[in-house]
Amino acid sequence: MRSRGSVRNTVLERAAPFIGFLASAVVLVAIVIVLGENPGRAFEAIYKFTFSNAAKAAQVLSVSIPYYISGLAVALAFKAGVFNMGVEGQYFVGGFTAALAGIYLKLPPLIHIPIVVLAAMLGGALWALIPALLKVRRGIHEVITTILFNNIAVALVTYFVNNPFSGIQKGVSLEPQTKKIAASAVFQKLNGLFRAVGWNVPDYVYLDYSLIVAVVMGLVIWFLLSRTRSGFEIRAVGTSIDVSRYAGIKVKKVQIGAFLASGALAGLIGLQEIFAIREFYTYSLASGLGFDGVAISLIGRNSPIGVIFSAGLFGFLRQAGYGLQLFTKVPNSVTYAIQGLMILFIVVINEVLIRVVRALRKKEAL
Amino acid sequence: MDLSFLAFFLVKGLEISAPIAYASLGAVFSERGGVVNIAMEGIMTVTSLALVWGAITFHSIWMGLLVAVVSGMLMGLLHAVVTVSFKVDHVVSGVAINVFAVGLSRFLCQSSFGQETQSAINSRMFPSWLGINSLAFWLVPIVALSWFVINRTVFGLRLRSVGENPEAADTLGVNVYLMRYTGVVISGALCGLGSCTLFADKWISGMVAGRGYMALAATIFGRWDPVGAVLASLLFGYADTVRIVFETMIPIPVQFVQMFPYVLALVVLAGVAGKSRAPAADGRNFEKGEG
Amino acid sequence: MPEALLAMRGITKRFPGVTANDGVSFDLRPGEIHALVGENGAGKTTLMKILYGLHHPDSGSIEIRGRPASIRGPREAIRLGIGMVHQHFMLFPPFSVLENVTIGEESSVAGILKPAVPRRRIRALVEENRLAVDPDAKVEELSVGQQQRVEILKILYRGAEILVFDEPTAVLTPQEAEDLFRTFREMVRQGKGIIFISHKLDEVLAIADRITVIRQGRVVETMDRASATKPRIAELMVGKPVLLDVERPPFQPGAVVLEILELKIRSSRGYLVVDGLTLSVRGGEIYGVAGVEGNGQTELVKAVAEGLEAESGRVLLEGRDLGRCGVRERRARGIAHIPEDRQKEGLLLPFSLAWNIALGRHDKPPYVSRLRILNEKAVRERARATIERFDIRTPSEDTPANALSGGNQQKAVVAREIETGARLLVAAQPTRGVDIGATEFIHRQLLQARADGRAVLLVSADLDELLALSDRIGVIYKGRIVREFDHDRAAREEVGLAMTGGSIHA
Repeated sequence: MRSRGSVRNTVLERAAPFIGFLASAVVLVAIVIVLGENPGRAFEAIYKFTFSNAAKAAQVLSVSIPYYISGLAVALAFKAGVFNMGVEGQYFVGGFTAALAGIYLKLPPLIHIPIVVLAAMLGGALWALIPALLKVRRGIHEVITTILFNNIAVALVTYFVNNPFSGIQKGVSLEPQTKKIAASAVFQKLNGLFRAVGWNVPDYVYLDYSLIVAVVMGLVIWFLLSRTRSGFEIRAVGTSIDVSRYAGIKVKKVQIGAFLASGALAGLIGLQEIFAIREFYTYSLASGLGFDGVAISLIGRNSPIGVIFSAGLFGFLRQAGYGLQLFTKVPNSVTYAIQGLMILFIVVINEVLIRVVRALRKKEAL
Repeated sequence: MDLSFLAFFLVKGLEISAPIAYASLGAVFSERGGVVNIAMEGIMTVTSLALVWGAITFHSIWMGLLVAVVSGMLMGLLHAVVTVSFKVDHVVSGVAINVFAVGLSRFLCQSSFGQETQSAINSRMFPSWLGINSLAFWLVPIVALSWFVINRTVFGLRLRSVGENPEAADTLGVNVYLMRYTGVVISGALCGLGSCTLFADKWISGMVAGRGYMALAATIFGRWDPVGAVLASLLFGYADTVRIVFETMIPIPVQFVQMFPYVLALVVLAGVAGKSRAPAADGRNFEKGEG
Repeated sequence: MPEALLAMRGITKRFPGVTANDGVSFDLRPGEIHALVGENGAGKTTLMKILYGLHHPDSGSIEIRGRPASIRGPREAIRLGIGMVHQHFMLFPPFSVLENVTIGEESSVAGILKPAVPRRRIRALVEENRLAVDPDAKVEELSVGQQQRVEILKILYRGAEILVFDEPTAVLTPQEAEDLFRTFREMVRQGKGIIFISHKLDEVLAIADRITVIRQGRVVETMDRASATKPRIAELMVGKPVLLDVERPPFQPGAVVLEILELKIRSSRGYLVVDGLTLSVRGGEIYGVAGVEGNGQTELVKAVAEGLEAESGRVLLEGRDLGRCGVRERRARGIAHIPEDRQKEGLLLPFSLAWNIALGRHDKPPYVSRLRILNEKAVRERARATIERFDIRTPSEDTPANALSGGNQQKAVVAREIETGARLLVAAQPTRGVDIGATEFIHRQLLQARADGRAVLLVSADLDELLALSDRIGVIYKGRIVREFDHDRAAREEVGLAMTGGSIHA
């Protein structure tokens, strides 16, 4: 039996992303007008490029996959009160270890692919290990350490790709890369399946095994956080370290566990690009996904479900940006600016709403 | 090793250290007032673009400097509003601003120069002195001035009091909000100045390359003291210079040498943590009327 | 007749659920030391906070030197010549004494600090008032007594004529207290007035010119030094005890459950906050720890329930040394803990009530299956049963804990801890900030635990509660149990006196 007040409180608590989104939409319209473009045309261009047909919608989905995994990784860490800014580095390293497993192991696909996934997670977790230990043992804030580790990761991986593991073929390869991924490890497309159920997904869109990985991981993390004891302890530690300690929870172990799990998830981000799209590893992988993940997590209120929406939003925005660029005078980079603005709006509005709800609750309790 | 080489090394090192040094000075002002400023990376991204834009648009490198400093102050103001007035967690705000800064700078670059990752070339440079950007030498008087302001002026004393115990400062009549705002805005201005010592010929997305974070590490290593922070920045800068100068001579693969400054920063942090003391109220939001 | 420095008339201040001050009138003459005494929660601190502008009275008036004053905040109070030395110092540890004293009121030229003038003034104040302290020393290097002198300098520097001291000797050694009183005498000789809040009747009688006793928000009496005696003051402070109608089943103690031997704990400031403490609690017994806050109770509780590191001494549970066991181990061995601060330590406020009830046992069946999966159904069922059994007022078990009233939050914490079935229940201020109905209920629960043969270590600042519930009362003073009373022989006044460090031979 819920009182009217508590429903309102719950809604208010979750309203920040929506209000922030609306506010940003208003800003976007303003920018469009300032740039001398007709807002109607802008929206038409966006629609054309994102949802006008099955192919475009599928592309939005495809692009959202790495965003989702990245947001999920950051969100898991946030739940435990850990600021994992190192997703960028963890994804480069995890992608690399996965690529090694994909290139140099000879296994049937049924086994090879799970091994590759595991290798990705191991690589990512490994890269999160030292910052995790520094945080827990020495109290060093993980924001700085993980960011420094990002820079180190890029240099390290560049070295490996250029030298021991180089697979460049003269006259064929356009960039420094490793050898090709074994055929047994390549992530096949699922487009055929989708077409069979009526969604007309063309072949140039990448809806591959990484989609399965994303969905599975999303379910796993959701289950972990809401249904297991470890998830409970993670959420408790993220809420209050004092109370967790009082309740006998081993705070340090939980923090390290969440940090490493977050790194493991981060390692999976590059799977689509490495194993489906390119079929080799290169250090010029899509960059910025790590920090995008932070944005996605914050917008999705750091929950596995919320991140679904915010990742989808980012995928949508990315395609919308291309659409705008192609059909209107509005440049692609507007979407980046809007993304950033949205986060600021959301974190501020969230803080304001939390205080409002707290004040309302206090009044009601008396 | 002849003397001219040594002189060259010393001077070049100063130039390379300068951006980090200015930023770390800024961090000192912000953090002594109790506001953690992780947004420096983002602020420098924007201000370095502002410098190039200002120089090209107003046909003067000094106007570029002005635009850079003003834009740094505006970004700092944003961080201050979000953390001091809206009381958002300082780290969250810093991270959000960094993300925003990337997007903002790309957007502004595209609007001004037609492509989002590189600006046009700016041919106006700052006057050189001894072969490097003379702004790097301004560091010396500015550090001295900063030290003096923090330790010997009314403003400095009040700023520090707010960073140690804002509740007590408030009861004594210090305007906590004003002090914190001022500290953060000053750090924004110094970031702007620092980005003027990076490269002024053009702006490239990602050119700040983690210097904002290294500046934070330098501040911690330097115990939140202006002179200490700058000395720590010089340590990082000269280490980087060693790398650049000897890169081709060392038998280690180039990427490992590239890692060196970051690894150094990590080692420094790991060694120093716990031993030095941040301002007691650093990172803690102040609510007027509580306590 | 000299005009009063300060006159407060008819001050009334209400907070949600309690009337802190009810028509209080109080005045201060120049050259006078006026003591304000009363139990915890009687309203003394609230009254002084009103004087200092930290609270605004609902009704009543304040006059300073005959002129009406409306004190809107500390800065206004300072301007009017009121200075307050708080119990918890408001200093800047890494700064020098001079800096601490002058912040907000600096001597400067064009923004540049000029410490020469303040240094002279401070030295003069130090001389005049016998406050031995070096203006250039760093505050964090000073002793507690010296730090207090810095606080005094702060208010003198700003021209305070009305000085308020809140429990100033609570953290001082006897020698330092003597020094402080010497300073008091100097200051009143100059015509200043001092208001002095204290529990320690010996000191009050030694130094005060007039004594005002407050009880439950009202002034009971204001008396002159000449007509004041310790027994009289104690009786007025404590008044008629609140009738707690609790049935106490006969005392049938079992084996010793908790034994603390010569426990010594050093605080971060370097002194022994627990100094050779020894006590034991049997099954079926409630052992009450009585004492003024700050005498080591908090550390005692933390040492038993959470394993706070001790310098020496032992804590034994049913004969086994607890050593350096962590919280989880202690809970497993049979210790339950009702924490002092339910919001900061006891409850995950955003979580639902059901999950807060499961907290601490969330890693055991039936809450958790073998696969470490949480059994949400079991959690809610158990919670519903608990809510009913303990009559916790809440819309549902899914309501977040921060939506409950203080009393119901505390009931939830108490319910949870009692239901663990632990052999030893450590209860720290279990009814603090809780309404009468919930308080009564919690008391009944504690007595039930006792009847069930469990050992209860009850730490409380509420003397009535201790007297009603405890089989034995141990008075803690300066980190040790200085006196123990059996239930039948515990007389209110005697226990009260022991708590304040008063001599046993009255």
